[in-house]
Amino acid sequence: MNGQPTALEAIVAFVDERVGLKQIQAKMLNEPVPGGSRWAYIFGSCLLFIFIMQAVTGVLLMFYYVPSADHAYASTQYILHEVDYGWFLLSYHFWGSSAMVMMVFAHMSQVFLWGAYKKPREMIWLVGLALFGIVMAFGFTGYLLPWDQRAYWATTVGVEIMDKTPVVGDFMARFLKGGPTPGQMTLSRFFVIHVMVLPAALMGLAGLHLFLFRKAGPAGPFRGTHAELKAKTDYFFPRQIWKDIVAMSAVFITVCSLAFIEPVVLLEEATPDPGEYHPEPEWYFLFLFQLLRLKIFSGEFGQFLGAIALPGAFMALLAALPFIDRSPERNIFKRPVALVGWLIVMISIVIFTVSAIINREFLD
Amino acid sequence: MSAQAPSMSPVKLGLAVWWPAFWSGIPFKLTIALLFLAMGVPSWEMPGIAFLLLLSIPIDIWAMGVSARTVFLEQLRLNPPDSLGLTLWWQNAILSALYLPLAYFIEISVIAGAKAVTNRIMELGLMKALGVAERISINLVMWSSVSTVVLIILVLVYLWLFGRIVRRQAAGARAATESYQGLVRSWDLMRVPADQPLMLTVFTATGVLLVFGLWAFMPVTTPHPHESYQQSKGKQVPDLRPVDALKKTEKLLAQAETRVEALEAKAQEETKEKEKEKGKGKSKGTADPTKPKAEPAKAGEKPSPKQ
Repeated sequence: MNGQPTALEAIVAFVDERVGLKQIQAKMLNEPVPGGSRWAYIFGSCLLFIFIMQAVTGVLLMFYYVPSADHAYASTQYILHEVDYGWFLLSYHFWGSSAMVMMVFAHMSQVFLWGAYKKPREMIWLVGLALFGIVMAFGFTGYLLPWDQRAYWATTVGVEIMDKTPVVGDFMARFLKGGPTPGQMTLSRFFVIHVMVLPAALMGLAGLHLFLFRKAGPAGPFRGTHAELKAKTDYFFPRQIWKDIVAMSAVFITVCSLAFIEPVVLLEEATPDPGEYHPEPEWYFLFLFQLLRLKIFSGEFGQFLGAIALPGAFMALLAALPFIDRSPERNIFKRPVALVGWLIVMISIVIFTVSAIINREFLD
Repeated sequence: MSAQAPSMSPVKLGLAVWWPAFWSGIPFKLTIALLFLAMGVPSWEMPGIAFLLLLSIPIDIWAMGVSARTVFLEQLRLNPPDSLGLTLWWQNAILSALYLPLAYFIEISVIAGAKAVTNRIMELGLMKALGVAERISINLVMWSSVSTVVLIILVLVYLWLFGRIVRRQAAGARAATESYQGLVRSWDLMRVPADQPLMLTVFTATGVLLVFGLWAFMPVTTPHPHESYQQSKGKQVPDLRPVDALKKTEKLLAQAETRVEALEAKAQEETKEKEKEKGKGKSKGTADPTKPKAEPAKAGEKPSPKQ
C-alpha cells in the first residue's frame, strides 16, 4: 500500500497549512439546516447562479457591444447576426434578467411567508430589500443598451416617471439622462451603471447578506418543536447542495429553452419620434404601467401618487415590517393578515400585468 | 397482514404523491425538450410532442415510484408493494385519459360562459362610464375569478381520484415494523448508491455529453434574422502571412533590380553604338556642295522620287 500523498493531496495540504482551507470548507459545507434540507430554500442559491450566468454572458457580450448612440444598435445587430452563437448569448442574457426578477419575487415571498424576516433576521431582510432594488435597477438600465425603439422609449417613459419625485426627481432625471433629452450621455451613464456600479453593489451586498444569514442561521420550518427540528437536521452538504444543483440546472435549462423559443429580435433603431410604436416597459414593470392608466392616477398629482408615493410607501412598509410585526409566530396559517396581504399583492400584480397586455389592443 | 386504509384524506394523499412526482420528472423532461429545441424540433408540435410523451413514460414511472415509496415509508409507515411506480403510473394514465378531456371541456365552457356574462355586465351604463383601463381590469377579475374557482375544484377532484388509487395500493400494503428512525435510515440507504464516485462520474459524464450535444445541435447564426439587416457579403480576405509576404516582396524586388540592371546595360550599349555611329559618320566627310540641296517637301506635296 502506497502511503505517499498524491500531488493534489499535497497541494491541498500546502494551502490548508497556510490558510486553514479544511476549516473553511467544513464551516461552509457543514452548516446545519434545522428541520432538514428543503426545496423551499433553493431560491437564494438560484439567484446567485443566475447572477453569475448574467455576468458571464454580459462579459462575452461586452467584447462586441459599443456603448455609443451611433454604434449601439449596429453592434447589437452584429452580435445577433454575425457573431457565432451571438443570438443565443444575447437571448440568454435577456431571458436571464427576467428569470432573476422572478426568482427575487419567489425568494422574497418564501422569506415573507415563512416569517424569516422576524427577530433576529431584520438586517438580512433590509439588505435583501436593497438587493431587490439593485436587481430592478439592473433590468431598467440594461433595457436601454440595444438602443432600438423599444429600449429608447421605454427608458424615456421610465425616466419621466422618476422626474415626478418631489424635490430630487428633477435632479435624478437629469442625472440619468445626462441632459435635457435622452441621448449619448444617457447611454454612457446607463452602460457604466449597468456593468460597473450595480455589479459591484450587488456583490458587496450579497456578501453582506450571506454573512448575516450565516451569523443568524437558517430560520427553518415554521412547524415542529425545537426537539423535532433538531432531530431532522440535515447539513448543507450534501442534501441542500444537491437540491440547489437540481434547481440551478432546471433554471439554466428553462432560460436556454426560452432563448430558443423566443430569441431576441430588435425593433427599428431609436429615433426622436416614436412613430407608431407605443412605449412600454419590461414585463415586470407592466403592472405599475397599467396602474398609472387608471383615472384615479390621472393628472400631475395622480401620476405622482401612482408612480412614486404608492410604490414608495409599499417599499417603506416592507422595510418597516420586521419592526412592526414583532410577534414570534412564524406559521403563515396563523398569520392571516400576512397571508391575505401577500395574496392581494400577488394577485393584483398578476391582474394588472395581464390587463396591460390586453390594453395593447385598445391603444390605437 | 395488510394495513388499514391510511387516515389521510384522498386529496392530501394524492397531492403528497403527485406533487413531488411531477417536479422530480421536470428536470429530465426539460433536458429532453431543450435538446429537441436545439435540433429545431419544438416540443409543443408534432413530432416533438410525441417524442417527448414517449420518453416521459419511463421518467414518470420512476418519479411516481420514488415519490410513492417515500410517502408510504415516511408518512404511512407501510412497506411499499413491488412495482408501485408502474402500477400507479398506468392507473393514473387511465384516469388522466378519461378525466382530463372532460375537465378541459368543463373549464373551457366555464371561461366562455363567464366571459359572455361579464361582457353583458360591462355593457351596462354604469360600467360604460368607466375608463378603458378600469373596464379591462374589472372584466378580467370577474371572469377569471369564476374560472379560477372552477379550475381549483377540478384539480381537487383529480387529486381526490388519484388519492383513492394510492389508497387502494396502501390498503394492500404491509405495515412497516421498524421505528421511524429505522424507516428513514433504510429509505436513505435505498436511495444512496453503493458506489458514489461511479455515480458522480456518470453524472458528470452525462452533463458533459449533454453540453456538447447542445452546442453541436445549436444553430450558429440566428434562426430569426432581422428583416432589414444586410448580412455582410464581402469576399473573404485571405489570411496575411507576414513571412511569406516579405519573401514574395524580396523576390519581386530582386527581379525588378535584375530587370533595371538589364535595362541600364542595354541603354549603355545603345549609347555606345550611337556614339560609334556618330564617329563613323564624321570620318566619312561632309556632303557634295555641287549637288543641289533637296528642298524639303511642302505640306501636302509628295516628295520627288529623286530626293
